[in-house]
Amino acid sequence: MTEPLGLYVHIPFCASICNYCNFNRGLFDADLKRRYVGALVEEIRRSDGSPADTIFFGGGTPSLLDPSDVEALIAACRESFSVSADAEVTLEANPDSVTVDRLAGYRQAGVTRVSFGVQSFRDAELLRLGRTHDARGAAEALGMARTAGFDNVSLDLMMWLPGQSPDEWLESVERLIALRPDHASVYMLELYPNAPLREEMARARWTQAPDDDVAHMYLSAMERLERAGLDQYEISNVARPGCTSRHNLKYWSDGEWVGFGCGAHSTRGGARWKNVASTAEYVDLVGRGSPAAIDVRVMSRQEQLEDALFMGLRRSGGVDLPSVGSRYDIDVWSYYGPQLAPYLDEGLLIYDGGALRLSRPGMLLAHEVMMVFISPDVR
Amino acid sequence: MDQRYIRNFSIIAHIDHGKSTLADRFLELTGALQAREMEAQVLDAMDLERERGITIKAHPVRLNYTSVSGEQYVLNLIDTPGHVDFGYEVTRSMAACEGALLLVDASQGVEAQTLANAYLAVDNNLDIIPVINKIDLPSAQPEECRRQIEEIIGLDGTGAILASAKEGTGTREILEAIVERFSPPAGSADAPLKALVFDSWYDAYRGVVIVVRVIDGVLRPGSKVRLMASAQDYQVDELGVFSPKALPVQELGVGEVGFVVANIKRVSDARIGDTLTETARQTLEPFPGFKELKPMVFAGLYPVEGHQYSELREALDKLRLNDASFFYEPETSMALGFGFRCGFLGLLHMEIVQERLEREYNMDLVTTAPGVLYRVTTTDGEVHEIDSPAKLPDAGRIAKLEEPVITATILTPSEHVGSILQLCQDKRGVQKKLEYLKSDRVLVTYDLPFNEVVLDFYDRLKTLSRGYASLDYQVTGFWESPLVKMDILVNGEPVDALSIIVHRDAAYERGRAVAAKMRELIPRQMFEVAIQASIGNRVIARESVKALRKNVLAKCYGGDISRKRKLLEKQKEGKKRMKRVGRVEIPQEAFLAVLKVGTE
Repeated sequence: MTEPLGLYVHIPFCASICNYCNFNRGLFDADLKRRYVGALVEEIRRSDGSPADTIFFGGGTPSLLDPSDVEALIAACRESFSVSADAEVTLEANPDSVTVDRLAGYRQAGVTRVSFGVQSFRDAELLRLGRTHDARGAAEALGMARTAGFDNVSLDLMMWLPGQSPDEWLESVERLIALRPDHASVYMLELYPNAPLREEMARARWTQAPDDDVAHMYLSAMERLERAGLDQYEISNVARPGCTSRHNLKYWSDGEWVGFGCGAHSTRGGARWKNVASTAEYVDLVGRGSPAAIDVRVMSRQEQLEDALFMGLRRSGGVDLPSVGSRYDIDVWSYYGPQLAPYLDEGLLIYDGGALRLSRPGMLLAHEVMMVFISPDVR
Repeated sequence: MDQRYIRNFSIIAHIDHGKSTLADRFLELTGALQAREMEAQVLDAMDLERERGITIKAHPVRLNYTSVSGEQYVLNLIDTPGHVDFGYEVTRSMAACEGALLLVDASQGVEAQTLANAYLAVDNNLDIIPVINKIDLPSAQPEECRRQIEEIIGLDGTGAILASAKEGTGTREILEAIVERFSPPAGSADAPLKALVFDSWYDAYRGVVIVVRVIDGVLRPGSKVRLMASAQDYQVDELGVFSPKALPVQELGVGEVGFVVANIKRVSDARIGDTLTETARQTLEPFPGFKELKPMVFAGLYPVEGHQYSELREALDKLRLNDASFFYEPETSMALGFGFRCGFLGLLHMEIVQERLEREYNMDLVTTAPGVLYRVTTTDGEVHEIDSPAKLPDAGRIAKLEEPVITATILTPSEHVGSILQLCQDKRGVQKKLEYLKSDRVLVTYDLPFNEVVLDFYDRLKTLSRGYASLDYQVTGFWESPLVKMDILVNGEPVDALSIIVHRDAAYERGRAVAAKMRELIPRQMFEVAIQASIGNRVIARESVKALRKNVLAKCYGGDISRKRKLLEKQKEGKKRMKRVGRVEIPQEAFLAVLKVGTE
């Protein structure tokens, strides 16, 4: 592959644990953080100098790192990879964990893009989610980022929250638009089976909106965001022109990325692997000079093709069948066309001979379509 | 062997009343257990067959017993199947005996199955010894049992033996009673050979093995014999008895029980109830009571994956090798594609076949609602037997429509009798008899449409009586009934596999319930799905499944594509278990759920 790599750095610490989240994270511990950053630097340094053009600090809550930590990690990336001068360097942040100084420090360290986990602009909803910030804090965080000099700021919102009505959801969307971010992500709350939030919902009798309402919430939000100059470029992502997330696009464009840190995922050279999930074990393994990767798996061509197709469908522009076809040496349309026909008939899919893409109602039913590309025993 | 020292008997018992434990005690006390232990494998194979086998019956066991007075006896314990589906096989096993032990659980008392089989034993002129088992239980009520035996079954309870098979109490007393109170076999050694076939199975190495009871004459290896019903001649290759391991013998004389191997190719050639005689010197009369077993319950079996059709055919062929009572023929459904119409002795039999296909042959099956065999007289005067709603002629061509009727015997504690009578009435039953017994039990006899029983009668009976009522039934005839065919349409297309035959008066309610159930079972799809129930061209119920509008669009954590993929794989796996009818995906359970409605 000639495309430069994306580098992902996982920061598994949080100041408090949200009641709906099951990402790989734990409570912040200063000493563990220090050792963890050391281990990250060590793991990154084992790399081979390949070209890379994005770095993404994801979590957890990466903004719990001090600017000096971030600086050391970016430096390690630059030493061990050939990181382009105009690289996109994203840091996920919690609105209540930042100050202008701190943000300026990140910027000084080389961060070019900040992504705030706002989730909602309604305090009642934030409270239900167990978030520690309020709507005003979120707005202020964006202002601080601007003051610190960031011209690429993203805000995350979540819809389908417990007790959230369509109007309440659109209120958050309007508040977001009014703040003029450069990028926004819109997700639906996914309640994993044992999420503590489920219990709280049951106790308080909060329910999630019915499907038809959620569809309306999604479609209205996308229309509204687009009118405000934030163009949809992926199922859940919108951006001002030129501000799409180059790092995340690698996931959706059959790209390659290397993840560092506990539980980080990598896809490179036709293989996929995952690092050990436990923070302590990760620090220990790296400290002993061992690889942190477990579960290294070489993918078959079929699996790579399928992943390229179903992940590619997430992009608004769709997946270009002729180019995927030439990469994997298959006539994608004649192979999958018959199975795709019902979705084209229903208007969920659009195909113009080049790109195959989902319509907006199709995006809501993306999984139904993506299943066409899944063959059962490919892994 | 001297027939005066032979006793052939079976054990009549309700499930869990301790039949196999008592049999184990017999094996132990007669010294057969050691052999049993040595032949663990043989017995395991038997257990396996017992677990899976269509007959649900163990081999007969020959016990060598030395009586208290010092005489040597041969006792043949002949097993009987424990389920109403196999009623005919029970009569044949009993016909091979002179006596029966009536085993009753001292804490449970007499159950309907026990009663039905006790009557069968009486009809077959068997000597009966009541045994009250599990007297070691704190809840045992032996005197109450004795009263029930007298009052419900009409046997003399004073001779009942008190036993605990679990603890070994009463075992010898029972064996002594068998010797003293059961008659030895009658029959003449000089008469032409007459032997009753009461079991048969297919053995991959030896072909069909048949189990016989010699009535008259003698069987020897090399004998030229004839199966009278199928009129086929064979030469006996091997004779033996089960001790319990298979033991070759040089002859089987009057009253003896054993197996015969004679190069018989198919079990359908050696049917249960047939008579084995000598080719050269045939008995004048075959043993009475032979019947062709006729399937009573019918259902469509379809592979979920169309390409498994030929595999299914092979699997059915193999099953049929060992089960002459099971019937199948190819059937095509618009909805389900190519499959088979299968006939079974009853619901349990159907479940067994289904389970064997799934477990032993790895088939993924869709089963349609079971139905019964209807009798249709068309306007041209012809009589047709209809085993599938699809075969029902147009209403205009039907002069008379008859459905099979069963006579059901229900034994219940009196507190549940009200709800049971209500159930029987709801099921279009006609009360024949209602007997309040002194022992706080009620004997209810009803004629019921078999179709209704096939639906869900037994489950509901058990629920209503909290498990205490027991049921036995026999198909006793046909009656005329205003039945109609109800179709289910999905997005305007009739789904043939969902059609059922129902009573006209119940059609409307049933149609509504089925449509509602279908709405529950059919998951939302990309488009709205309309469900209708109709009789002829008249729609009697409609429901709709609204279009699916969204999947959950959640955040993907740090490029973890494997997780997304697993999610999609799981969803796809769920879809695979559905049948596509037109554009609509219908889950397998929907094809059976037609049965499960209107019962709450």
